[in-house]
Amino acid sequence: MASPPEVTDAQLIARCLVQDDRHAFAALVRRHQSGVRACLRKLTAGNHALADDLAQETFVNAWRNLAAFRQEARFSTWLYRIATNCWLANARKRKEELLGDRDGAIEDEQVGEDVAASHGDHSRASTLRIDMERALGVLSEAERAAIVQCYHNDLTHEEAAYVLGCPVGTVKTHVLRAKQKLKVALSAWNPDAASA
Amino acid sequence: MPHTQSDLRPDDADAWLERALVADGAVHRDAYIEDSGFTARVMDALPAPAALPRWRKPALAALWTVAGIGIAFALPGTMFDVARETFRLVSARPFALSEIAALLLVVGVATGTGTVMALRKD
Repeated sequence: MASPPEVTDAQLIARCLVQDDRHAFAALVRRHQSGVRACLRKLTAGNHALADDLAQETFVNAWRNLAAFRQEARFSTWLYRIATNCWLANARKRKEELLGDRDGAIEDEQVGEDVAASHGDHSRASTLRIDMERALGVLSEAERAAIVQCYHNDLTHEEAAYVLGCPVGTVKTHVLRAKQKLKVALSAWNPDAASA
Repeated sequence: MPHTQSDLRPDDADAWLERALVADGAVHRDAYIEDSGFTARVMDALPAPAALPRWRKPALAALWTVAGIGIAFALPGTMFDVARETFRLVSARPFALSEIAALLLVVGVATGTGTVMALRKD
């Protein structure tokens, strides 16, 4: 027996708007929670508790602004945009609190040491994941967001520009700069450097 | 002949990083995070629906009643004048049976709709 056709995001959104249907919104949350939480976990460099708080804030903001969603992008892309804005606002707030406590250069060095030290302990795939998470921590907010949207959320540069609210050229610049920093932070993974 | 680092274009030299990013992205997308009550927490955090106060309906009915009584007292005899004038206009014009039936139908539908609207739950 054929399974019933899945209700589309657009149909669920229409139900939310026309009938104030909270069950429809719950279905949207269930459908997209994994992607949004995973994205925020990457952006927060693995801080799961903070990521989940921000994900909750993301969906509440989405509910409040659902009427403003004009379908010019996929619903998931729109959610990533809200999530990224929530994260940026939180990062700014935290930065103000921690102003002066951290130094980028020291952080770069520290990450390089951590990366090298952890290689013997874990399998290659999971170690890469951990190292990548740490390495993302050395990037600026804009660079990290660009990398996460382009590589982890698999968005095009145009979609990433929509999510980040900046021109496509700026996204490409952020990605290039991020890669330069990641090359240093993940230098232990460079086979040429390892064999040299 | 194996190529050396200097032979490589910048893109090729960074291929290992590209591969690492793509691999990490693929793992990231494949990993599904279980809901584990997350949706329920979001639904609890949504703003409460705007509920109409219970006193709204009786208060509105009372206001309309007061307004009707007020108009009746303010304009004595108006209702009789309107009724008399309407009857005069109607009696001056001959109506076909179909027109009377249509009028009754309209009045019936209007009465039924009004009753349903009055009895419906908010």
